[in-house]
Amino acid sequence: MAEKSSHRPGNVPSTDQEEEMRTPEEFRYTEEHEWVLPVGDGRVRMGITDYAQDQLGDVVFVQLPETGSQVEKGAVIAEVESTKSVGEVYAPVSGTVVAVNEAVLDRPELINQDPYGDGWLIELETDDPIDQLLDAESYLQLIDRE
Amino acid sequence: MTEATLRSPLHELHRRLGARFTRFAGWEMPLHYGSVLAEHRAVRTSAGWFDVSHLGRFRWRGRGADAALRRLTCGRIPEPGRARYTMVLNERGGVVDDMIVWCLHTDDYLVQPNAANHERVMAMLAAEAPTAQRLDLRGDTVCLAVQGPDAPAVLERILGWAPRRFRTWVGQEGRILGAGTGYTGEAGGEIVCGPSDGERIAAELVEAGVQPCGLGARDTLRLEAGLPLWGNELDEDTTPLEAGLDFVVDFDRKFRGREALLEQRRNGVGKKLVGFVTAGRTIPRAGNRLRADGSEGWVTSGNFSPMLERGIGLGYLRPPTDSPIELETRGRWVPVERTEPPFVRAT
Repeated sequence: MAEKSSHRPGNVPSTDQEEEMRTPEEFRYTEEHEWVLPVGDGRVRMGITDYAQDQLGDVVFVQLPETGSQVEKGAVIAEVESTKSVGEVYAPVSGTVVAVNEAVLDRPELINQDPYGDGWLIELETDDPIDQLLDAESYLQLIDRE
Repeated sequence: MTEATLRSPLHELHRRLGARFTRFAGWEMPLHYGSVLAEHRAVRTSAGWFDVSHLGRFRWRGRGADAALRRLTCGRIPEPGRARYTMVLNERGGVVDDMIVWCLHTDDYLVQPNAANHERVMAMLAAEAPTAQRLDLRGDTVCLAVQGPDAPAVLERILGWAPRRFRTWVGQEGRILGAGTGYTGEAGGEIVCGPSDGERIAAELVEAGVQPCGLGARDTLRLEAGLPLWGNELDEDTTPLEAGLDFVVDFDRKFRGREALLEQRRNGVGKKLVGFVTAGRTIPRAGNRLRADGSEGWVTSGNFSPMLERGIGLGYLRPPTDSPIELETRGRWVPVERTEPPFVRAT
């Protein structure tokens, strides 16, 4: 996920204060702050990380892809908007969208409250190996540098 | 950008309260303390306090102070004990700045321009009246806003002053100045005082459980209230008539920009501010295009309304029209519902 645009007055993220961000061991991560979790049958579930939701602030709008659509790794697959900015979510793998989390459309705050659980975004069917993505430790190092 | 970042005297307190900071007009100020939405709702339902020490403010008094305001600002001049919203215009009628002027005593004002226009407005007034005295307050005072239905009662408990709409107050032998003003559409007031009084008052607000609020909620609240933001709805190429702020202008006397406004009143405005609400949660953003039967337009401010739980926006249509409006969002044109601001009224 990357912030596409920021809106005044919140145009610069803070560097002052970093809380401890959750990065569960069983998940894989991307440099763009998405998480990926295998759920069996060649499917993965994805969402945005605790760090990403924290940077974004209160999420108030979510746009998700149509089920059945094909996505290429690295393409924009969803958008999450907060009161201050629009974040683009990138496909962590190539594949087919097999499910989306309708609950977050009406309750975007689920992404803030439970980014790795009820705030999940999309399930993809993929042939891509996910062990090439970042593990929790590497991802934690990445956000420590940001 | 090598310009030094300015900070409020209350910066450490904000840090202790868990503020996330943002830069605005050269100042590093709280953006939020965890949740813009929670802060917003606190102001609509109970009370919240904001450190707005980045705002411009200077005392303007003595011989010629009143006359300079008359020549330079387009609104009615407040009587002693009152505050008024007004503007400085250029010769074309465009808005150089919008501001609140507090009249504390005869020929003794507190002028509160936008953060970015503080120096400029001070210099413009000084050029009009070299005999008047200006005292820059921004460097060594804090400005706090306490807003919401419970705000007057909270301020009465802490300061012994219950703000009334657009009334000013001089308290503690002049150490604390107040006005029943704000930027949220709610009851409440703003105070200007020295840093140590500011620290004490802020601590008492925290103690009283009043929600600290950042610039994020300040922006969503002012947009719900339909209040213009200089730099978005207002600029030097936009007149108060185009912005739908005719009520601000006092045509009964001369002021800079009056001729241009009279000309617009005779011949009509080229563009007009409109407000609109989106279907569902689609969020309009500044710069998105608008269109309406033969008119084109653009969004000047847009965001999510926490109270309506829909997108709301302000923008201009050129030429003005009453036809239904469409908004371009994510490459698609969608109909939006035209709504006369405010989008949300005080509770």
